[in-house]
Amino acid sequence: MSGDRRGQLLVLGSVAAALLLVGAYLAAGGSSYEPAKTQDPCKHRAWRNPEGLQEIAQQFTLSALDGAACELGVGRETLARALATPEARERFADRYGIGDAELARAVRAGLVRAVDDAEEAGALSPLIADPLRSTLREIPLERAIELINDAEAIFDQAQSFLGPAQSLLESFLP
Amino acid sequence: MNAGAARPRATALAVAVGLVLADSSIVVLALPQIYRELDTTVAGVTWVLVSFNLVMALCAVPAAHLARRAGPGRVAAIGLAVFAGAGIACGLSGHLSTLIAARCVQALGGAAAVTGVLELLPATVGSERRAVAVWAAAGATGAALGPAVGGLLTELVSWQSIFLLQAPVAIVAAAPILAVARHEAATAVLSAELRPPGRPHLLANLALAMISAAIAAALFLLVLLLIEGWRLSPIGAAIVVSVMPLAALAGARLGERVPSARARALAGAILVSGGLGGLALLPKAKIVLTLPPQIMVGVGLALVLSALTETALLGRAPQAIHGGWTISARHAGVVVGLLALTPIFTADIAQQRHDAIDAGTAAILDSRVPPLAKIELAQRLEDRLEGERGRVPTIGSAFDPLPSDPGERERVVELREELQDQLDRGATHAFSASFGLAALLGLLALVPIGLARRVEL
Repeated sequence: MSGDRRGQLLVLGSVAAALLLVGAYLAAGGSSYEPAKTQDPCKHRAWRNPEGLQEIAQQFTLSALDGAACELGVGRETLARALATPEARERFADRYGIGDAELARAVRAGLVRAVDDAEEAGALSPLIADPLRSTLREIPLERAIELINDAEAIFDQAQSFLGPAQSLLESFLP
Repeated sequence: MNAGAARPRATALAVAVGLVLADSSIVVLALPQIYRELDTTVAGVTWVLVSFNLVMALCAVPAAHLARRAGPGRVAAIGLAVFAGAGIACGLSGHLSTLIAARCVQALGGAAAVTGVLELLPATVGSERRAVAVWAAAGATGAALGPAVGGLLTELVSWQSIFLLQAPVAIVAAAPILAVARHEAATAVLSAELRPPGRPHLLANLALAMISAAIAAALFLLVLLLIEGWRLSPIGAAIVVSVMPLAALAGARLGERVPSARARALAGAILVSGGLGGLALLPKAKIVLTLPPQIMVGVGLALVLSALTETALLGRAPQAIHGGWTISARHAGVVVGLLALTPIFTADIAQQRHDAIDAGTAAILDSRVPPLAKIELAQRLEDRLEGERGRVPTIGSAFDPLPSDPGERERVVELREELQDQLDRGATHAFSASFGLAALLGLLALVPIGLARRVEL
C-alpha cells in the first residue's frame, strides 16, 4: 500500500472513530447526564394521597417549605438545609442578606400555605384550619421552624398554641 | 563523534528534553494537594502550571538565540543547572507566591536547556531528520508521562518530591552535555557559524499552539474531574490517566507507517477532538467510560505533535531557533487553554455542585424516610458541605449509622445512592462545557493544518 493511501486511510479511520465515540456517548445519554432539576417552590404541588399522621406531617412540611421559599425567592431545598441548624440558618441569612424578621414572615406565610394545602387535600377540616391559620400568623420564628422540622407536632402536640382546639383537631384527622 | 560516546549523550539529551517538557504537565495531579496545603483557590493553583508555561513560551526563542551565540552545550548545561536549582526551591516552597516564582525560574532554565539540546542533537544522532524525531518523541513522551509520574510521587511521597527528584535527574542528564560545553570553550568555533535564521513555519506553529491548548485542557480537566469530582486518590487518577501515554506509544508506532506529515497531523487533531468530545459527553460517572476518549487523545497527540514539530523544523536552520518557536507555540497554547478554560470550569463546578446538592436535598425531602430522620440527614449533609471548602463532597458518612429497622434502612440506602448519583451527575456535567470547548480548539487546529500544504509546504 502506498504512503498516500495509508495517509488517507488514517484520516478516514480517525474521522470514523471520532464520530463513533461521540455518537455512542450521545446515544447513551451523555447530553443529559446532569443533576435533576428542582421545582419552582411558587408552583402549587398536589399532595400525594397522604395516609396516616406521619405522611400528612411530611406533606405539610413540604408545603410549608415551598411557601416560605417562594416568599424568600430561594429554592425549597436551600431553605430546608438552612433550617436544619441555627448555624446553617446564620450562614443562609448572611449569604442571602435575609434578616430574622423577613425569615419569620416567610416561614409563617409558608405554614399558612401548608394549612391551605392540607385543607384542600382534605387532610384538615375547615373548622381547625381557620383558627390554625390565625395562630400560625402570630407564631414566633423559633417555634415556626420547629413546626416545619417536625410538623407532626401540629397534629399531636398542638395544645401549646391551639389550646382547646387540639381535641377538635384530632377528631377531624382522617 | 564515535558511536560509544554518541549513544549515552543522545540518551542524556533526550532525557533532558523529556524532563523539561514533562514539567509543564507533571504537577497536574499534585494540584489538588497543593491547593489544599497552600490554602489557595482553584484559579490560584492554576498559576503553578500557567507561570511555567508562560515563561517557557516567552523565553524559548531568546534562549535559542543565546544558545547559538554562547554555545549550545554551555547554555544547555547552565539551563539544566538552573532548572535543577529552581526545582529544589519549588520543593521547599511554603507559599503559593514563592512556588510560582520558583516555577518561573525553572521555566527559564528549562527553555535554555531544551533549545541548547536541540542544537546539539543533529551532530549527536547523525542527521537533522533523526534529531527532530528524537526531540519530538522525547517531548511527547515527557508531556504524556508527566501526569502519571507526578500522581505516583504525590501519593507515595508528597507533591514536593516531584520537584526535588527532578534535580538529580537534571544533573545526571547535564553530565554528558558538560563535556560538549568544555569542548566549545576550548575551540570557540561558534561565532563563525552564525547565520540569520529563516522565517518560522507560522501555520505549523499556530496549529501546535491550538492543539497544545486542547491537550493541556484534556489532561488538566480530566485530572480535576477524577480527583475533585469523582474523589479518586492521586495514585488512582495517575493509573487512570496513564492510559493516555500508553496510547501515545501506540500512536507513535502508527505514525511511523504513514510518511505524510499532513495526514498524521489531520488524523491526530481529529482524534484529539473526538476524544475530548467523548469526555464532554460522558454518559455516566464511570472510569471505564473515560478510557476510549483517553485512548483517542493519546493516539492523536502522538500523531499530531510529532507531525507538526517535524513540519516546523525540517529543512529549517538553525534548529535551536525553530525548535524555540515550536516550544514557544506549544507552551503559549497551554497558557491560552488554561487561562480560557479555568474561569469557565470553576464557575461550572460551583453551579453544578449547588444544583447537585439541591437535587440530592430534593430526593431527601421527597423520600419516605421518617421526618426526624430527614432532618438529621439534612443536618449532616449541611455539615459535610461546610467541611469540604467548595469541593464535591463524599456523602456516605452522612448516612452512618444506618437505621436498625430493615425497612427504614433500605429506604435510607436507596436515598444515599440517589444522593450520590446526583453529586456524580453534577461533578461530571461541570466539566462538559470545558471539554467541549477544548474539542473545538482541537478542531480549529485543522484550519492551519489544512492551509499549511497550500501555502508553505
